[in-house]
Amino acid sequence: MRRVGIVERGDWQAQAAECGFRFHTIDGARYWDERAYYAFTMAQIEHDLEDPSVELHRMAMALVDEIVASDALMQRLAIPAEFRDWIAESWRRREPHLYGRLDLAYDGTGPAKLYELNYDTPTSLFEAAFFQWQWLEDQRASGRLPREADQFNSIHEALVDRFAELAASLPPPLLFAAVRDSEEDQGTIAYLRDCAAQGGLYGEAIALEDIGLSEDGRFTDLDDVVIGSLFKLYPLEDLFHDDFGRALPRSGLRLIEPPWKALLSNKGLLPLLWERHRGHPNLLAAEFDDGGELPAGWVRKPLHSREGANIELHLADGRRLHSDGPYTGPCIRQAAHPLPSFDGHFPMVGSWIVGDTACGIGIREDDSPITRDSARFLPHAIVEDGAQVVFAA
Amino acid sequence: MDDPHTRRRTDMTDARDTRRLKRSKTTALLLMGTAPLLFSACQRDAPVQVQEGLYTSVESCAQAIGDTATCRIAFEQAKLQAADTAPQYSSRAECEAEFPAEECVEQKTSAGHSFIGPLMAGFFLSQMMNNNRAGAAAAQRNAQAAPAFRDNRQGWLRPSGAPGAGRAGMAPVSMTPDRAVTANRGGFGRSATGRSTGG
Repeated sequence: MRRVGIVERGDWQAQAAECGFRFHTIDGARYWDERAYYAFTMAQIEHDLEDPSVELHRMAMALVDEIVASDALMQRLAIPAEFRDWIAESWRRREPHLYGRLDLAYDGTGPAKLYELNYDTPTSLFEAAFFQWQWLEDQRASGRLPREADQFNSIHEALVDRFAELAASLPPPLLFAAVRDSEEDQGTIAYLRDCAAQGGLYGEAIALEDIGLSEDGRFTDLDDVVIGSLFKLYPLEDLFHDDFGRALPRSGLRLIEPPWKALLSNKGLLPLLWERHRGHPNLLAAEFDDGGELPAGWVRKPLHSREGANIELHLADGRRLHSDGPYTGPCIRQAAHPLPSFDGHFPMVGSWIVGDTACGIGIREDDSPITRDSARFLPHAIVEDGAQVVFAA
Repeated sequence: MDDPHTRRRTDMTDARDTRRLKRSKTTALLLMGTAPLLFSACQRDAPVQVQEGLYTSVESCAQAIGDTATCRIAFEQAKLQAADTAPQYSSRAECEAEFPAEECVEQKTSAGHSFIGPLMAGFFLSQMMNNNRAGAAAAQRNAQAAPAFRDNRQGWLRPSGAPGAGRAGMAPVSMTPDRAVTANRGGFGRSATGRSTGG
């Protein structure tokens, strides 16, 4: 794994505009950054990232059965009591899930370590699945990358296939919702609608704020048509706390991600995984937080926090780092395992799971060891070490 | 001595073919952006989209799809299939255990076989959605109708194969019919104030 400088494509902004990728620059700062890429070998991709992703996903899914059967575990994960039966029922029915992202710390050697699971509202999807793919094709064509260069990224195909699988089981009509004013979230649902359409499943978009509730407790679109299935790029726990949340369990609305994903997008899963797989090479030690002093070598994270917010880091060398944010509530502790530094850049590997398939990665790097919403997305390529020797031969 | 080709193969202890692409063979965008873009050698056909609704009346169907004639035909077709696809019971009590009492009546299939079974409580209508609108006649030809039955637990069922004893030939659907008068909007989204929602 190397961080390699490379010439930008001259027309990438035009390409971004053409395909509706509007959030490549956020508040004047680059978010999409192709001035460098991360180079991996095939062995690093398959043995160190793909295989562990499959295994971690399987371990997480195996926990759902146990959690839904235990009120005590639901309590530990701070699942509100009035939603527990509904969540359990959604799992018993095996309501289908679409996707998730595992965040891994990896430096090219040794086992990747699981930071957390983003199994409810993972973002950075379009740039990973589509724009990164374009970059590879263009840079191979331009000769700046070897013809044999590849990328761990069949995310787009996996999404189209997954939507095709879901088509038969989702009650229509299907709608895609995100918060109205989030350009990034709107861009992500535009891409997901596109993938769904390519899989034969058509769904309109609706602003989350426009969803209605009827007197008999069903959710409606702006034409009063009862919504059958709703893809929501909005955290389940936030839906629960919104005014309409209490109507969800009896509404008949099918959600994607399904309610049981509230158990996996919860950082309480990290101590549960550690208790059951203590010493697993891809896991970091984790425990539920008692609120006391954070010892050196540990990180404190709220059960629900996104974009690296409200993280407290007490490094082994005594340094303390802290990120602000709006999240409160119960926390977990995780053994500190700082992100590797590549010339002062700290990459986090997001490993995508679509359905139950590990199908690609996207890398976000920040200038600090906590990956926040200021992180930049860099493309990656699979380039064998010494590959040039082979071409010459 | 350290030929990368050899190393690549011997490193792989599993059955994966390392020469298989790890990336999508094609990517495409149909809806996004300024124009439909296809980034691949082989262009897919435009996907056929099927829209299906469950309706309890011709009127509610027409309201939803804006085409009364198609709804009327669908309703008639569903009604014609109803007796041949309804769950069959040998007694009223057995039928009433699964379906509302007032729906359980004696019926005859088109082959003349008598049974007790629920009446059709609604109908399904699936339509191929096509961008090049071929007109009302084509819309009606492409429409497919099926009867819908409602059980005691407010679940909706559709015939899924050969009719048989009880619910054997029925498949539950999680579809909800029709429209509902919206009482309130704006009850979702507030928890997002001041934070981004993604992770």
